[in-house]
Amino acid sequence: MSSSQSESGAAAPRWQDLARRAAERRNAEVESVAVRQLLTFVLDGSPYAVPVERVREIVRVRPITPVPRLPGDVCGVISLRGEILEVIDLRLRLRLHAGPSGRASRIIVVHAADGGVAGLLVDGVTEVLPVPEDALRPAAAAETGNVETLCVRGDRFISLIDLERVLRFDAQH
Amino acid sequence: MAQRRRKGRRGSKTDQEFVSEAEEILDRMRQDLADLNEERVAGDDVDPEVVNRLFRSAHSLKGLAGLFGFDPIQDLAHRVEDILDGLRLGRVRLELSVVSLIDESVHLFASLLEQIGNPDALAAAIEPIGQLAERIQAARAAPAAESEFGDLALDPSLLRALTEYEEHRLRENIRRGRHICLIDATFEIISFEEGLSRLTAAIREVGEVLSTLPAPGEAPEAQIRFSLLVASDAPASEVVSRLGLPAGAVRLVRAGAAAGAAPAAKAPAAPGALAPPGPAAESDEEATVAHRDASEGGEPESLKSISDTVRVDIHKLDELMNLVGELVIQRGAIGELVSRLSADAATARIGSDFAKVHKALDRKLRELQSAVLDVRMVPLSQVFEKVSRVVRRLRTDLGKDVRLELRGADTELDKLIVEELVDPLMHVVRNALDHAIEPREERIAGGKDPEGRIRIEAFQRGNHVVIAVSDDGRGIDTANLRSLAESKGILQPGETLSEREALDLIFMPGISTRSEVTETSGRGVGMDVVHTNLTALGGVVDVESTPGRGTTIAMTLPITLAIIQSLIVVVARQRFAIPLNAVHETLLIAGAEIQRSEGRELLNLRGEALPLLRLAAEFNLPASPPDAKCYVVVIGLGETRMGLLVDRLDGQQDTVIKPIQGPIPAVRGIAGATELGDQDPVLVLDVSALLAETGRRRDAS
Repeated sequence: MSSSQSESGAAAPRWQDLARRAAERRNAEVESVAVRQLLTFVLDGSPYAVPVERVREIVRVRPITPVPRLPGDVCGVISLRGEILEVIDLRLRLRLHAGPSGRASRIIVVHAADGGVAGLLVDGVTEVLPVPEDALRPAAAAETGNVETLCVRGDRFISLIDLERVLRFDAQH
Repeated sequence: MAQRRRKGRRGSKTDQEFVSEAEEILDRMRQDLADLNEERVAGDDVDPEVVNRLFRSAHSLKGLAGLFGFDPIQDLAHRVEDILDGLRLGRVRLELSVVSLIDESVHLFASLLEQIGNPDALAAAIEPIGQLAERIQAARAAPAAESEFGDLALDPSLLRALTEYEEHRLRENIRRGRHICLIDATFEIISFEEGLSRLTAAIREVGEVLSTLPAPGEAPEAQIRFSLLVASDAPASEVVSRLGLPAGAVRLVRAGAAAGAAPAAKAPAAPGALAPPGPAAESDEEATVAHRDASEGGEPESLKSISDTVRVDIHKLDELMNLVGELVIQRGAIGELVSRLSADAATARIGSDFAKVHKALDRKLRELQSAVLDVRMVPLSQVFEKVSRVVRRLRTDLGKDVRLELRGADTELDKLIVEELVDPLMHVVRNALDHAIEPREERIAGGKDPEGRIRIEAFQRGNHVVIAVSDDGRGIDTANLRSLAESKGILQPGETLSEREALDLIFMPGISTRSEVTETSGRGVGMDVVHTNLTALGGVVDVESTPGRGTTIAMTLPITLAIIQSLIVVVARQRFAIPLNAVHETLLIAGAEIQRSEGRELLNLRGEALPLLRLAAEFNLPASPPDAKCYVVVIGLGETRMGLLVDRLDGQQDTVIKPIQGPIPAVRGIAGATELGDQDPVLVLDVSALLAETGRRRDAS
């Protein structure tokens, strides 16, 4: 128990820093445009994001126990302060190249729409980014893919993940 | 668990529950009221905590009466709460009239409780409430004079932050000429709760904490600062030295009256810290004596409370259970350390000493564990009572002559399991009444006792409790079941089934042995739900039936859902836990001993054919090399047995099964996961699902 506490203790200030920086920037924004707060992260070298309000916490990668009979893009379960959570390998879930997790890899614990929680394994967390609504563009394959919208940042696009779709598994297993 | 209740008390169980809880509250109120009056008579300073306790008691009584729908009691309690609130906030002065008013109310409460099961007498007893209420209203009229805090060396913003109660306590302490000071304390953010409660406890040794407020201004990184407003008899300098604080941390806000002028009778009003209560019976007596002057004679009240049970929220027990569970896991980690120390020659000596301590700890933990488990246990009698009520009603509705026999009502089960058991049990009993027991004429024609019999029998078997419902009705017609299953496409025509497998069809969704729908047992959504519910609790249902003679449905349930012993097995280098209460034995066999029949693997276990399941194949894990020695874990629940083939056994561990959270619901064959001291969770096998799976596979092949 103690080891996981100290670990999340170490992670917490970092998370708070991100949030504070975002808040400062938000104050500087023009108030007229609605602004969404996104947590951005890296997958296979490209930027992705989820809405901040869906994020419960960010934790370091810890031993993952594989669970039989789960779809291949679910790596297994972790123990987090006594809770047992399923962790989804977001690279595999989005059909990107599989890759080993590195020092920067993190598990983002998100709230599902049904009140549950799940872990998302990502290559590294970048920042909390305030994005005005008018910087969002529909994604090319929004109907079928896991990316809801694209967000323009300078000349780069950040893909906003459709959490509902990513967290929905057909009951075929 | 003590379940004593005085015999002969009128009213239902619910009323009794209310009465036993209300009596506990009244007892506390009597005791506190006696203390309060004693202090008033002796002219001592009144301990604010006594008034607060009385206030809380009246508040609980109000809530309780509301919950159970005893409006007159709720109303009276509300008024008493009001007057005590006034007393607490200094709006009502503590006088004899007030004390006797509260005392009368307490007596009135007691007499109302006596009459609770008797509506007529209750109405009569309620009468005095009106008068009492008026007097209570009158008592809380005159507010105390306001005094200003102008002469205090205090920041006005701090004064504004005080609640009305805190203001009153400040005023009261000034009136009594105590020193008032402000103590600044800084704590690490992560441990401030502990530090703050230590400081507060220390201050209570010498005085009273009037208010705890966050200190203004920036605190250093990762620290948090508080200002505590404190009243004490001793001057501030003494407070500083006694608390071991730096001199600058304490600031005198108002000097008290000269030494000696302060009331020296009792040590400062230290809530709860001083004046330990004497033996309960003794002080109870004092309470009664002290208050006789205020109440008219009447019949002497019993000094003993009627029930000596303590009511605890089941979730608090869950918390306790979780804590114990975590301790048990920590112990596992210590065990690991012990064996590492013992394995190394350099530390073997200390390792063996450590092992002894570990063993002692282990024993105590087990005792603690079983003591906590014991608190959660309740007898089945509660459920049985509900069932017999329903049977009585249905018997009349259906016009059937049925005798209900109950055995083993004192068998104990975990409270949560008992709750979950009610519906399935009720369903099985309804089925028996509605479908199994024949109408009277039919029974007479069949040469049976015209009166039908349903027996519910509960008994403990190892770590399980078996609840068997048997009837002497018509039995289950398996041919009928078969044709129904075939018509619903559950069964292929001509498929061979053993008698037992045919009976198990009643647990399939959509099967009901009667074509018409009845109000009592619904429309074929019955036994499958019973099956599902019991499986969710880690239990199993077995059915046995003889046509024309009757049916027995046996539900086997684990005694508790909390900590369980598990056998740890290794398959393809991954560990799995198997609840030990489902493990019958373990065997080491040679690969050649495994036999095959119709493509299924079997083991000859003392003459019986034991079906085998390779866990690696089941879970798509790499298989171990063939022909090697392998371990068989014989698992079973109820009557079914099966052998699990695993690579290795890894000892027994205490486990707390936790549900897996995530987007993918229940993985078949996995009941949850557990932590074993190290970080990665270990999956716990769902034995009943695995047993069912081999059963299904047998059907399919």
